[in-house]
Amino acid sequence: MIIEISHFLSLLATGLFFLVGLFSLFVTSNSYTSNLISRTYSQAFLLLFSSFLIYVWLAVTDNFSVEYIANHSNSALPVFYKVSSIWSAHEGSMFLWIVFLSIWGFIFNIAINNNEILKPKTVGIISFILVGFLLFLLLTSNPFITILPIAPDNGADINPVLQDPALAIHPPTLYLGYVGFVIPFAASLAFLINGDSSIKWEKLIRKWSVMAWVFLTVGISLGSWWAYYELGWGGYWFWDPVENIALMPWLAATAFIHSLSVSIKSSHLRIWTILLSILVFSLSLFGAFIVRSGIIDSVHSFANDPQRGLYLLAFIGAIIAASVFLFVSRFSMINSSNNIPNLSKESFISINNILFGTLIFSIMLGVTYPLFYEYLFDQKISVGAPFYNAIFIPIVILASLFLFFSVDSKWSRGITIDMFKKPIILSITLSIISVIAISFIFKTKDIFILLSIFAGLLIISRYIIEIWKYIFNKKYLNFFSVVAHLALGLLLISISFNSLLSSERALNIKLNQYEEYKDMKVYFNNIQLIKGSNYDAVKASFNIEDSSGNNFNLSPEKRRYFTRGQITTETAIYITPIKDIYLTIGDQLDDGSWIVNIQINFFIRWIWFSAALMSFAGIMLIFSRKRI
Amino acid sequence: MNPIRKKRLYSILFVFLFSISGVSLILYSLNSNLDFFFTPTELKNNDIPPEKRIKIGGMVLEGSVERNGSEISFVITDYENSIQVIFEGIVPDLFQEGSGVVALGFINNKIFYAKEVLAKHDENYMPPNIDIKK
Repeated sequence: MIIEISHFLSLLATGLFFLVGLFSLFVTSNSYTSNLISRTYSQAFLLLFSSFLIYVWLAVTDNFSVEYIANHSNSALPVFYKVSSIWSAHEGSMFLWIVFLSIWGFIFNIAINNNEILKPKTVGIISFILVGFLLFLLLTSNPFITILPIAPDNGADINPVLQDPALAIHPPTLYLGYVGFVIPFAASLAFLINGDSSIKWEKLIRKWSVMAWVFLTVGISLGSWWAYYELGWGGYWFWDPVENIALMPWLAATAFIHSLSVSIKSSHLRIWTILLSILVFSLSLFGAFIVRSGIIDSVHSFANDPQRGLYLLAFIGAIIAASVFLFVSRFSMINSSNNIPNLSKESFISINNILFGTLIFSIMLGVTYPLFYEYLFDQKISVGAPFYNAIFIPIVILASLFLFFSVDSKWSRGITIDMFKKPIILSITLSIISVIAISFIFKTKDIFILLSIFAGLLIISRYIIEIWKYIFNKKYLNFFSVVAHLALGLLLISISFNSLLSSERALNIKLNQYEEYKDMKVYFNNIQLIKGSNYDAVKASFNIEDSSGNNFNLSPEKRRYFTRGQITTETAIYITPIKDIYLTIGDQLDDGSWIVNIQINFFIRWIWFSAALMSFAGIMLIFSRKRI
Repeated sequence: MNPIRKKRLYSILFVFLFSISGVSLILYSLNSNLDFFFTPTELKNNDIPPEKRIKIGGMVLEGSVERNGSEISFVITDYENSIQVIFEGIVPDLFQEGSGVVALGFINNKIFYAKEVLAKHDENYMPPNIDIKK
C-alpha cells in the first residue's frame, strides 16, 4: 500500500529531525558536527517531502482508501482542486503547514554557509519545532488513516465555497508567511544561546524575514479578496476572529522588519528586535491554536477537538516559555547602554514599535476577552468592528504623522526637524487644501475620515517630493521604503474613500420591471434554473443603466450543491477603476418580486492594489543586489 | 537622590503612567463596544435599554416569517419565550423557518430591530454553542 510508504517516510523524517535537534545541542565550533547537522537535516527534509509528494499523487489519482482524501475530494473534480482539497480541512492543511516549515528550513540550510556560527543551532531549533508539529500531526490528526477493507467508490467532495482559484492559493501563501518567521525566530534564539553579542544575527535573516512578510501580506490580501467575491461578504475586512489572528503576526512582522533595519545599522533596539522575532512566531503559532482548537467559530475553524487544542497549547506554551526564559537570562548581553538620540530615525522606529504593540495588544484583547468573559461570568459576548475601529483609526493616523516627520530624520543623529523646511510646508499645505476641498465636494464632516485622508496625502506628497529630489538633485533614496510607504498612503486614502462613498440597498424587483438606485436603473430581464456539473442554480440576469448612458449586464446566482446540499451565493460584479457595482440575489417574495442586494463599493480594488504594492516593495528588497 | 537616579525614576514613572492610561483607554473602548448575547428567555429576565446594541439568538419560529417590501419580520424563539424581530435587507442563504439564527441590533418596546442577521452554519462568524432547548 502506497499510503503506508508515505506514512512511514513521515515517521522516519520525524526521527531524523529529532536527531538533528540532538546534534545541535552538542555542537561545538567544529566543522564536522555542523556538516553533519546540515546533511542530516537535508535528508530528513527529503524524506518528509517525498512523503508529501506521494500524498499529493494519491489525491490526484483518487485513492479513496485514504480516509482524509475520501472525505474531502471527489473523482469529478479537476486535478487542480484534487490537489487543493488536501488543504481544505484540518489534517491535510496541518501536513502542508509542516512541509512548508521544513522547506524554509531546507532552503536556509542550503543557502547559508556551514561556517556561519549561528547556522547549526538555528537548523537544530527548526528541527525541534518540526518534531513537535510532526508528533502533533501523527498523534492527534493523522492524515494517513485508511478505510479498510473496502474503499468507497467516490469521495465526499470539497466544500463548494473552496472550489475557487483564489482560495486554492490563499492558504498556502498564508502558511508560507506564518511559518517563514521560524527563520528569524530560530536565528534569534540561536544568537541568545550562543551569547556573543558581536554576532550580527540580524543581517543573516533580513531577507528571509522580508520574504515571509511578503507571503503574509499577499496571503491576507488574497483571503480578503476571496471573502469579497466568493463568500459574498461584500467588503474587504470584517474583524472576523480569524482575520484578526492573521493581522496580529502581520503587525508584529511589520514592526519587526522596521526594528531589524535599525539593529543592522547601529545595534540599537536589539531588545525590541529579538522580542519582536519571538512575538511574530508566537503569534503565528497562537493563530494555529485558535483556528485548530475550534475554540472560536469562524469560516476558518476546523472541527472542535479539545485534545488537539490542548496539545497545541502545551507545545506553544513550551516554545514561548523557553524563548522568554532565554531572553531574560541573556538580557544583559543585548541591552545596549548608549541611548538613542531624540528625533533620530531610531527614535521614530521605536515609537512605531510602541504603536504597533498597542494595536497587537488591542486585537489580542478583542479576540480573547469573550472567551474569558464567558468562562468567568457565563455570559456570551462578542467584540465587533466598532471596538477595533475606535483603536485602529487614531493610532494609524498618529503613526502616519510620525512617519511623515521621520522622513527628515537621520540615522543616529538627533537633528531638530525644521518645521518650516520647504518640503514639509509644501506637503502640509497641499494636503490641507485637498482635505478642505474633499470635505466640500463630498459634503462630509467626519473628522476621522478627513484625518485619514490628510495623513495619507501627507505621506504621499512627502515621498513624491523625495522622489523629485532624487531625480533632480541626486539625493539618496531608499526605494523599498518609498514604495512601501507610498502604498500605505494609498491604502489610507482608499479605505477612507471606501467608507465615505460606498453604499448598499436591498431592492425588490419583479421580472421585466426596474428599480432605481442612486443614478442607476436596474432592469430585471430574466431568471432561469440552470444545471451545473455538481449543482443546481437560479441565475438572474439584470441590465444596469447609469445616468451617463453606460449599460452593462450582471448575472448573480444562487447555487445548491448536490453532495453537501450547501447553498452558496455567486456574486456578480461590474468593475470600473474607481468603483465596483456588486449584485447578489436573495429570496423570492409572495408577490413574485425578488430581493436584490446592490452595493456600490468605491476604491475597493485600490485597497488590494496598495497591499500588492507593499508586497512589491518587499520583493524589490529581496532581489536587490545592494549589500544591506 | 543623585540626579541620574532621579532622571531614571522620572522616566520610569512616565512610562508607567503612560502605559496605564493607554491600557485604560483601550479597556474603556472595549467595554463600550461589547455586544452581549441573549436568548429570548434571558432577554425577558434582563432590562436592556433601547440604545444598547445586543445580539440575540434562537430559532426562527415556524410560520412567523412575513415579508413586507424589502422588510422582513419574524419571531426568534427558544421554545420558552419569543421576541419579534424586524430586519430590512437580504437574509443569509441558510435563513429559514425552524432553523437557528443570530441577530444584531437594538430592542425597543419588545420589538428587536436588527441591523444584521446571521443564520446558523452561515459562513459568517457567530458565537459558538448556542444552546437551543427544543
